[in-house]
Amino acid sequence: MTRDAIRDLILEIIEDIDEDADFDTLEADKPLRDQLDLDSMDFLDIVMELRKRHKLQIPEEDYPELATLDSCVNYLEPLLADA
Amino acid sequence: MHVPLLIIGGGLSGLAAALRFARFIPDVLLLEKHSRVGGLNSYYYRNNRLFETGLHAITNYAAPKTKNAPLNRLLRQLKIKRKELDLHEQLSSEVRFIDQESLVFSNDISQLSTEIAVKFASSYNSFQNLLKTIEEYDPFRPAPFISAREMLLEQLNDPLLVDMLLCPLSYYGSSIENDMDLGQFVIMFRAIFMEGMFRPGGTIKDFLDLLLLHYKNHGGTIRTKASVKRILHNNKKVSGVKLENGEVISCDYLLSTIGSEETFALLGTPSPLETKARLGFVETIFELPAGTRLSESNDRTIIFYNSSKKFTYQHPEQLVDFNSGVVCLPQNFQDLPSAPTMEVRTTHLANYNEWKHLSSSRTEYESAKNTTALASLEVAEKIVGNFSQNIVYRDTFTPITIERFTAKKQGAIYGNPVKIKDGDIGYENLFLAGTDQGFLGIIGAMLSGVSIVNQHILPRL
Repeated sequence: MTRDAIRDLILEIIEDIDEDADFDTLEADKPLRDQLDLDSMDFLDIVMELRKRHKLQIPEEDYPELATLDSCVNYLEPLLADA
Repeated sequence: MHVPLLIIGGGLSGLAAALRFARFIPDVLLLEKHSRVGGLNSYYYRNNRLFETGLHAITNYAAPKTKNAPLNRLLRQLKIKRKELDLHEQLSSEVRFIDQESLVFSNDISQLSTEIAVKFASSYNSFQNLLKTIEEYDPFRPAPFISAREMLLEQLNDPLLVDMLLCPLSYYGSSIENDMDLGQFVIMFRAIFMEGMFRPGGTIKDFLDLLLLHYKNHGGTIRTKASVKRILHNNKKVSGVKLENGEVISCDYLLSTIGSEETFALLGTPSPLETKARLGFVETIFELPAGTRLSESNDRTIIFYNSSKKFTYQHPEQLVDFNSGVVCLPQNFQDLPSAPTMEVRTTHLANYNEWKHLSSSRTEYESAKNTTALASLEVAEKIVGNFSQNIVYRDTFTPITIERFTAKKQGAIYGNPVKIKDGDIGYENLFLAGTDQGFLGIIGAMLSGVSIVNQHILPRL
């Protein structure tokens, strides 16, 4: 999966969690949680959706890697290389 | 049979936990002992009509855009749209201390503030400070018991006002006598006074059916009349359960929503928890023809009353304590669809042991139920005006009824006074959600199920 496709996947998952999420002003290097007002419960949805859609097992200690859109892409790129 | 997650108890916490899990992993099995789901919030049919148990007014109302409000977080977690529920806000409610003072409140906290400005003028500024404290307090951080009553007395300096604030919060969810833990107080204060009350347009049956439909659409499985006889375990690790019919179901994780002592009983292990008195309740439904006009309080949704000089919320020595309680007019929500009948419902504290003792004689038990209904009627008529001539049907639940139909120990709807907030009862793969985890009310119970699944189970699978 390309970096752009991974980025779209994350945004699609977030939009599915919160249909009112506003991506227009989203800065890719800033924490998603603060910008989109996601709480830890919402955050778990991103992890679980990745598991459901791409059979990805993300261990709890790696959750911080998903903090920003950029870090998500960096972290997922090798994991989704064949997807 | 083997499942990754097995859930015992199809009340609202179990249903929410099951639905949350099934969204991502459909192989979840929910076991309910009775023939219907819902637990404390269920229904039954009498007189050709559906009667609700439990649900009169749901706390934690939230406007659509308040993303972090418990109601909206819950719906997001379960992927249920607000419009599926058809929410109706309350008209207005009241704390009435007869011959003393009254406070009317609604889903707009400024109404309560104004009432306090008028009726407790000298405590107004300290009440505003209290609101700030409540907004800033984190009730979910683990903390030892702090007495809410002591904090309130210190801050508000008016024992009557303190009792009037504690009365609805106690009746809506305190398993502790004459006090509340500060964290629980903050949760309940926000739920009732700051967020407020609502109900869905349909019945509790419609609500339960909606949850079951979502659950089944995700691929989840439920079995009713499935009573667990034993939880199978070894070295603090659970391997599964054995049902009353002998069937063994194995699981990776087990979530119990049936109460802490009830769970230890299935484990065959003595409960390590301190034993404290449980609070029992009696409730009476008076059914009236729709449109019956009550001469007083006709547009109130709930009236929390107290008629004695000093409000007490404790285990009564006699069968029922009529000195305080709740009178609910469950048709009084904004723009509810019309129904053929309306209700006046009353709730009072009751003594489980006295009722248990009576229940050995059918005639004595029935006669006590009748006396209770009539005494409760008298109290209710003092509050809303006379309506006895209009009653078309009447039914009373005692702690014995509640115990029988919900399997809650001693019919204590708010469960064990000792709460296990993190859901951890000392087993590697067995967790507790629901009433004894500590979040109360319909939204609280459902958030309990969701948050224990999120915290302990989903990240590990």
